[in-house]
Amino acid sequence: MSLHRRAATRRKVVLMAVAAALLLVWVFPLIWAVIVSFKSESDVLAYPPTVFFEPIGRNYEDALFGDFSILDSLATSAIVSVSTTVLTIVLAVPAAYAFARLKLPAKKSIGFYTLATQMVPPVGLVIPYFLILNKVSMLDTYTGMIIVYLTFSLPFAIWLMVSYMEDIPFEMEEAAFLDKATRWQTLWHIIIPQVRGGIAVTVIFVFLNAWNEFLFAVQLGGNTVRPVTVAMYNFVSVEQTLWAKLSAAALIAMLPVVIIGIAAQKQIVKGLTIGAVKGGGRR
Amino acid sequence: MQGRVNREGGVHQGETRFALVLTAPGILVLLVTTTFPLAYLVWSSFQTINLAMPFLDGFAGVQNYVDMWYDARFWHALGLTGIYTVSSVTLQVAIGLGLALMVMQIPAGQWIFRIVAILPIVLAPVVVGLFWRTLMLAPNFGMIDFLVQWLGFEQINWLGAPTPALISVIVIHTWQWTPFAFLVFLASLASLPGDVYEAARIDRANALQRFWHITLPLLRPAIVIVIIMRAMISLHAFAAIFAATGGGPGTASEILNLYAFKTSFVELNFGYGSALAVALLVITMAVSGILFYVRTPRRREASA
Repeated sequence: MSLHRRAATRRKVVLMAVAAALLLVWVFPLIWAVIVSFKSESDVLAYPPTVFFEPIGRNYEDALFGDFSILDSLATSAIVSVSTTVLTIVLAVPAAYAFARLKLPAKKSIGFYTLATQMVPPVGLVIPYFLILNKVSMLDTYTGMIIVYLTFSLPFAIWLMVSYMEDIPFEMEEAAFLDKATRWQTLWHIIIPQVRGGIAVTVIFVFLNAWNEFLFAVQLGGNTVRPVTVAMYNFVSVEQTLWAKLSAAALIAMLPVVIIGIAAQKQIVKGLTIGAVKGGGRR
Repeated sequence: MQGRVNREGGVHQGETRFALVLTAPGILVLLVTTTFPLAYLVWSSFQTINLAMPFLDGFAGVQNYVDMWYDARFWHALGLTGIYTVSSVTLQVAIGLGLALMVMQIPAGQWIFRIVAILPIVLAPVVVGLFWRTLMLAPNFGMIDFLVQWLGFEQINWLGAPTPALISVIVIHTWQWTPFAFLVFLASLASLPGDVYEAARIDRANALQRFWHITLPLLRPAIVIVIIMRAMISLHAFAAIFAATGGGPGTASEILNLYAFKTSFVELNFGYGSALAVALLVITMAVSGILFYVRTPRRREASA
């Protein structure tokens, strides 16, 4: 018995060691980025890399207010991401309700259509959008960028919201109908409060995807609309070796999504797994 | 749905009209923002559109597709797309599943793993590509470069030599997205019924048998959906590769997605770029079609 237990303990120790090593693989690049962001340029270039050094805040100052300020890009990312999120939710929530609950002609084909639009490769959209927006002089405009961002956020949001709408018990709507509530009242007062959690998950995903988007931003934006992802990329191609400043700027740029990620970790996992657990139903 | 309509009768008159009012704006926006550009893409794939030589522009028939057939760079990119997708998805599923099984055994520290796993997922791929290009892989600076030499191996030019560059972009993608697979598998494992394991333990099944005959079949739906979702993302991967290698050196890490992009925006040959993008779309639909087909009959079997 004790032999058994000792073997089990040893197995557990090995398991934890392997798991901890893997954990390190995932967390190390980020910790290293944080360390580098506090180094001076001379400390950065020391090789082998130094672990002990005088930390400085200069890189963050520069990234925010100095020559390499990314404040404008942060504002741009915020405007584009928030507008995209609001528009997407306003369009997707009612549509998802109708899909999940109401009699709708050609429901199957419309459902297939929203799913199929998610399979379009982004490069297959950025090419025609470049030609079209160029023709109507809308390259490098907020309107153009937000329209383009709807192409990936809207089908995804409808798909995600339908799964939440399907979970609402029918009794809720029926009770409302018996109370002679109009359809709009039912939607607004009964349905939407019921799917508040689902809306939160959808908001998080749409916002994250919009904030992190790069392909459309780099090709359809410009000097007016330059989200942080593009600012980061330009930083490296122009300032090849200012890696401490890059790390600081990148960490600032990623701060909103990291905060959301940690704060809404449960909701994100729920959103990720919803496809795995019940994605079979409609596909 | 059917029963409900019959039961409620009159109450549901006007339901269709209401449903149309709710869906019309969303579907109209989708039609305008997605379907119209897509139609435009297909149209331009039959055109010569070259911003560098606009005087040649015009209808090209199937010439772009004929060119593609004889284009060695296209077949090379297609092969790389296959290698990139299959290897990164396999690695994500294998490591993610292994890690999830391990973490299930250590209930006390699970929250640390969950927090760490969420971080790569929420980062912008372009930032991940840049971090790896500089902090991890850059010669005489990056941590991995340092480790390789410290361990006594010869220095490897990770992003500057063809095979290491391809391995690097696969590793970067795997690093960023394995946590996705891990979190999905962890959630699925947590929702498995415990009593089957009890029964198996009484039957004296060993750990491997329990995994093979119980856990794996129960996880099957989650594994299949992860493969489908990750394959789509791999096929369309762009920002991390673009930031780390730009598809290079030469065309060593140029998957089809990047080739279509570069043809259009670097060589300004939009007609041929469109044709390449159409090819990628067709491949995506074929792959997802096959994956969904593989999945469906099993479901019926299970529910029967």
